Amino acid sequence: MASRDLRAELDFLLLQLLEDLEQLEAKRQALNARVEEGWLSLSKARYAMGAKSVGPLQYASHMEPQVRVCTGEAQDGLQKFWMVRAGTQTPEEVGSRETALRRRKGLPRTPEPDSSPAPQNPLKWFGILVPHSLRQAQASFREGLQLAADIASLQSRISWGRSQLQELQEKLKQLEPRAP
Amino acid sequence: MAGSGKLMAVMGGKDTMTGFLLGGIGVLNKHCQPNFLVMEKDTTISETEDTFQQFLNQDDISSILINQHALDALWHCIPAILEIPSKEYLCDAANVSIPHRARGMFMSENLH
Repeated sequence: MASRDLRAELDFLLLQLLEDLEQLEAKRQALNARVEEGWLSLSKARYAMGAKSVGPLQYASHMEPQVRVCTGEAQDGLQKFWMVRAGTQTPEEVGSRETALRRRKGLPRTPEPDSSPAPQNPLKWFGILVPHSLRQAQASFREGLQLAADIASLQSRISWGRSQLQELQEKLKQLEPRAP
Repeated sequence: MAGSGKLMAVMGGKDTMTGFLLGGIGVLNKHCQPNFLVMEKDTTISETEDTFQQFLNQDDISSILINQHALDALWHCIPAILEIPSKEYLCDAANVSIPHRARGMFMSENLH
């Protein structure tokens, strides 16, 4: 009975592992496609702006990350990764600031304490008016980053699944030792 | 929200780097090391290795995106991890990772 339950659990884990592998392959292909789309859009932007206008020469001397990776450990060492955006404003915050600006007539302008300034959009490194292709490149690579986090989670899940599978196989061998 | 979470490091060619920096993962300020390396034709292997080691040692980096051809040249930087027994816990020879993986490749009856 115990070995039957173990076998059922093994089958479930194996199916889960195969599904995760399939998902991993799909996400990798999607990531490769996003990156290739991004390269093409960057080439189009370079064609529009000039050969030397889209590259490391335009990188800012000071950068703050717009996205970060959060990690969490679920169970038995299973790690999950997800991307988090930094410096996003809620609609309510934007609305109240506009009201304050409208009332500035006759009032001295006091600088607002800026405890956590939103990181600058990297598009601004390339000028004020950038071609649509550069925005498209940014969108492609942003999607790529989300996929990268998903892939990292899947890789962790697959490693975890493999170790669980190996443990169960050992338990099964102990319950059902092979006949010589 | 700003400041929570870790960073993603990138090692790759110019366009790959420009793209991921446009995505917003870049860090460059006087308080911390940059989390990216643009790999060009004249980038030396030692520079690549040093940067890779630096990323591995940084606590605020959770993952590294790296071009496959660059990683092929860096496998020797990743130390060999050898499982050894301890006094409190016996070493399970059947579960040592590398031979176990190799065994799994050839013994299909393990899956029955």
